[in-house]
Amino acid sequence: MPELLNQEIRDQVKQAFADLREPVEVLFFGSAQDCPYCEDTRQMAEEVVSLSDKLSIQVFDLEADAETATQYHVDKAPTLVLTARNDDGLKDYGIRYVGIPAGHEFSSLIHDLLRVSSRDSGLSQQTRAFLATLDKPVHLQVFVTPT
Amino acid sequence: MAMESDMVEAEMVETSEFMELVHQFGVSGVPDTSINHGAGRVVGAVPEEHLLAEIQRVVA
Repeated sequence: MPELLNQEIRDQVKQAFADLREPVEVLFFGSAQDCPYCEDTRQMAEEVVSLSDKLSIQVFDLEADAETATQYHVDKAPTLVLTARNDDGLKDYGIRYVGIPAGHEFSSLIHDLLRVSSRDSGLSQQTRAFLATLDKPVHLQVFVTPT
Repeated sequence: MAMESDMVEAEMVETSEFMELVHQFGVSGVPDTSINHGAGRVVGAVPEEHLLAEIQRVVA
């Protein structure tokens, strides 16, 4: 299959990835059933992680790996979960991309990979202070379009 | 925010593939952020403190 990311994009992303610090593992969840964007999303994610040795990917299937999907609260395909890969395993930061991360979403994905790699949210002290005391679940869904 | 708290999960949803969610929450412009399945909502790319305030309102 031809590459989805052209040489220009690959060069730009590689340049951005020079700032990667700690390892990040992407968990891809696809599905064999009615998932027109699964293959493109998996291929795109694999091409992105191939641009740095600090990045890795694991490929799961929503149905065949139902236990892992449940563990990561994934119920749609394609979904990408960004985790911090530490010496003692994967740390789930709760960051998910549902659908193919094309257009603006592609930049957001690259940005989030850098964020997770830095292990620093970059948020203000005020926001961090509130989040440190948060004792109820908060589920954010950011709706975006690829254009 | 999801990085700072295990209580927070942030999902970026590419809308053209998941129209049923879009209709469910009445999304019209993007980015449109739903908090706890519609209990709170922020439209547009707003400053961090605006989103924080809306989250605080939802969990209060």
